[in-house]
Amino acid sequence: MNNTDRNPKLSAQFEISYHQYLDNDGKALIDLPAQLEDETLLIKLYKSMVLTRLLDKKCIALQRTGKMGTYPSTLGQEAVGVAIGHAMKQNDVLVPYYRDMATQLIRGVEIKDILLCWGGDERGNDSPLSPQDLPSCVPIATQITHAAGIASAIKLRHEERAVVSTLGDGATSRGDFSESINLAGTWQLPLVIVINNNQWAISVPRSVQTAAQTLAQKGISGEVRCEQVDGCDVLALYDAMQRALDNAYQGKGPTLIEAITYRLSDHTTADDATRYRSPDALKQGWEKEPIKRFRNFLHHRNLWDEGKEKSLYEQCEETINKGVEEYLNTEAQPPEAMFDHLYEELPHSLHEQRQQLINKTREAGNE
Amino acid sequence: MSNNTLPDLTMVEAVNLAMAHEMRKDENVVILGEDVGTNGGVFRATDGLKAEFGLRRVMDTPLAETLIAGVTVGMATQGLRPIAEIQFMGFIFAAMEHIICHAARMRNRTRGRLSCPMVLRAPYGGGIHAPEHHSESTEALFAHTAGLRVVVPSSPKRAYGLLLAAIRDPDPVIFLEPKRIYRISKQAIEDNGEALPLDVCFTLREGEDITLISWGAMILETLQAANKLAESGISAEVIDVATISPLDMDTILSSVKKTGRCVIIHEAAKNCGVGAEISAQIAERALLSLQAPIKRVCGYDTIMPYFRNESYYMPSANDILLAATETLNYE
Amino acid sequence: MKYFKLPDLGEGLQEAEIVEWHVKPGESIKTDELMVSVETAKAIVEVPSPQDGIIHTLFGDEGDIIHVGEPLVEFAGEEQEDTGTVVGKVETHHGSDISDDDFIIGASSGRTHASKRCTPAVRALAKRMQIDLNTIQSSGDHGLITAEDVEHAAQLHDEKGPLIKLRGVRRSMAKNMARAHAEVVQVAIFDDVDVHEWVEGNDPTMRLVRAIAVACKAEPFLNAWYDGKTMALRPLKTIDLGIAVDTPDGLFVPVLRDIGNRPIENLREGLDNLRAAVRSRAIPPSELINPGITLSNFGTIVGKYANPVVVPPTVCIIGSGAIREVVTAVNGSVQVRRIIPISLSFDHRPITGGEAARFFSAFQDDLKLPK
Repeated sequence: MNNTDRNPKLSAQFEISYHQYLDNDGKALIDLPAQLEDETLLIKLYKSMVLTRLLDKKCIALQRTGKMGTYPSTLGQEAVGVAIGHAMKQNDVLVPYYRDMATQLIRGVEIKDILLCWGGDERGNDSPLSPQDLPSCVPIATQITHAAGIASAIKLRHEERAVVSTLGDGATSRGDFSESINLAGTWQLPLVIVINNNQWAISVPRSVQTAAQTLAQKGISGEVRCEQVDGCDVLALYDAMQRALDNAYQGKGPTLIEAITYRLSDHTTADDATRYRSPDALKQGWEKEPIKRFRNFLHHRNLWDEGKEKSLYEQCEETINKGVEEYLNTEAQPPEAMFDHLYEELPHSLHEQRQQLINKTREAGNE
Repeated sequence: MSNNTLPDLTMVEAVNLAMAHEMRKDENVVILGEDVGTNGGVFRATDGLKAEFGLRRVMDTPLAETLIAGVTVGMATQGLRPIAEIQFMGFIFAAMEHIICHAARMRNRTRGRLSCPMVLRAPYGGGIHAPEHHSESTEALFAHTAGLRVVVPSSPKRAYGLLLAAIRDPDPVIFLEPKRIYRISKQAIEDNGEALPLDVCFTLREGEDITLISWGAMILETLQAANKLAESGISAEVIDVATISPLDMDTILSSVKKTGRCVIIHEAAKNCGVGAEISAQIAERALLSLQAPIKRVCGYDTIMPYFRNESYYMPSANDILLAATETLNYE
Repeated sequence: MKYFKLPDLGEGLQEAEIVEWHVKPGESIKTDELMVSVETAKAIVEVPSPQDGIIHTLFGDEGDIIHVGEPLVEFAGEEQEDTGTVVGKVETHHGSDISDDDFIIGASSGRTHASKRCTPAVRALAKRMQIDLNTIQSSGDHGLITAEDVEHAAQLHDEKGPLIKLRGVRRSMAKNMARAHAEVVQVAIFDDVDVHEWVEGNDPTMRLVRAIAVACKAEPFLNAWYDGKTMALRPLKTIDLGIAVDTPDGLFVPVLRDIGNRPIENLREGLDNLRAAVRSRAIPPSELINPGITLSNFGTIVGKYANPVVVPPTVCIIGSGAIREVVTAVNGSVQVRRIIPISLSFDHRPITGGEAARFFSAFQDDLKLPK
């Protein structure tokens, strides 16, 4: 394996940086960059993480009580989504996978719509406030190529916008990912790709997924700027996102960020991680948890206290309950809605089928 | 034969003309694919377009069909009208996921908030003595997917008009170009930007005695068979389906009700080919007008053979003639 | 071709050294003329020109190594052959005899239901019972023929006799008569015309023909076409007389053209030719169309008076019965005289009774003449 005795020349070398600003307990490891001293921003980041966690808990409860379908939890990974959401500009484009609720909330997707999606109703994808964002994507890694396409369109039109796309650690094994990295590099796309490396692709641990030392280095294959960040450190993440987005706006090409987190939940509500994961590993994962450490950080800075915590929780409960109620009170679409939006105009050949469905449900209703 | 102020164009030149026309008219129309820029496409379908519109709008992509399809979807959601070229239909399978899971569904799953006004073009079909995987005809796979349109031209004029329509269509269109007839004939085409309608069949010959239904390169053999039948005093009505999905059954049924006999011809394999769907619908809706069973003349249910035996796989004019004659003589 | 590449030198040799050029840029060269000498590991090879042309560029100087497949020479003014494909060969085949320049969007217009509607099973039943489906009246919905209809038809066939479907001339007659009856308001005038003064050698048919010509000149409106829809009458320039001819195959009405301007002998010959042609079924369709007025000479078989059908667009038909002797009164005394009974039917929509009567009168006056 070692080539030195053959005296080769050096063609290329790489190094991957790892960024962390707060340790597990929330103590600052470096002097923070100026923009991260902005109190409004810091509080905003914290509040978003708490809302995400509480809503996440509610979603699991809804699924367990039969009021919603399979749901992929974001427990322990809130910092990633929150950092992305607050770093992006409104007119940037988000191309998520399926664990990006935190970001979607920040970008204006209503709780009701998030619940409708997992509740089996397409209308949840019709959220108006970020009209160009793509909906959650189930086919693994395919969203990255869409993001590359959107970024191509933005670059073609000389717009000062960026595209942010996310994926899990397992998704980095898929062709769509590597093909997109390749294109992003060669076309210098305004694209920021964030890997939520939560260490598990359902039951497959990160070490089995790939032999690569880091996932970030997969960007090197396409000459894409890449770095690792502590994915439970919302400040380091936010800063990394800002740098990446600035590069994108200025035409300096794409960035790949590997956010190292830990999946504290099951893969989805249909999964049971106790089948493949030891309790010790889970316990260790909790030690890095993003919300506790950031709360400690805020306490150190005297920006937060118990009173504020209590009232935040109350506000979140109220917001969440309101959203849940809206969701539960939303009647299902009529059956013939499946023919809506197949094409801009329903082709003539399908009118008969649609009518058959309407007749069938009308008859069933009359019985 | 041709108006000498209009150019006589082959099908591949007609495709080029249509794309150039739309690109001049609408700056949102862009082209991407392998070898489409500097090389003008391996069949020269995009010849000259990069020179006129620049590499911003005529993009040479890396070698990655999955990527091409995914990027096309993404561009389309941004309101561009991308025309992606997949170099051969045999390579389209890597793009299937994006075509079926995303392009076909984007409008439906976002309730119309986002849509995919894209065209995916691919040369398809056998008959050019190509190596393996370069001769597939798998239009049925796309026809079976709701949310897509599948269009197959059979002449230079129709290629021009249908491609214009496909580019202008607000939904994804898979545009399959039968490469065997890319250059086989020329027609005078006026670059007037007039699109032909989608979702409609074309009646190429009117007839009373039998209906011959086909599309793509097989139209050539079908017309040859019709001419042979005419020599025996039998008038065959020839229908070019053109839009494979959604099907225009009204035209087909109207013809079958008139003639009472029909033969469906396609190069693709018989089992679950689009001919099966047309057959089923004719049986459902025009059984009482039939004077003979519906016949299908198709490729065999095998892998497309290597090109030495290619001609045995593909239906010939004689095969069509035989089937038609049997249908006409059915007692 | 534009670029000529170093061809395969054989024996697995991949490269050669340029020894001597035999052409210069700008010079012309012919096929097979010596272009360049190259040296391989084994020998000196003389490379001839593959075509006629003018040299544009030489790729390489004497002493350079060049490899098989590398460009040697560029010819001026040539297009590099573009195969236009990267695999296989795409055929070009101009002047294909399949031209489908015209096409209809959607369905063609002729949309008559060619066949009776019935299920395949009933169709098979009809065939077994040897019943022609096209002769069956359907009792089912929307013209659907049922098994009962077929069985009923078979029963009738056995009990009452076979059904003969009208074809050809008889079929046309049935159609035309029905249409005429529906449209025309028919009125008939009958009379006996005294032909006792006729001299020997009078051909009754030719006399009738001439009398009709005379009468048409007196009352042109009876030699006209009438269109009931637009309510327009077209008095015709020439008198074209349709003469009904009975044959074993049915009723034919060949047309004797322009009887007003042709001498009698010519008309006689024409009529004979027409009759012969009808009998031999050699009559061309053009001779059977568009009469202005018609003569039905049924008297050649039997009968006195009739009310022959006026077939649109004509407005008049003359029927002549058999010439016979009758006992009649002339100037107060009883005589036996030869008469011919004549019926004049006309369409009372455009034609008045007076016009018809005056026509008849002129007709009779000419017919009475000795010759």
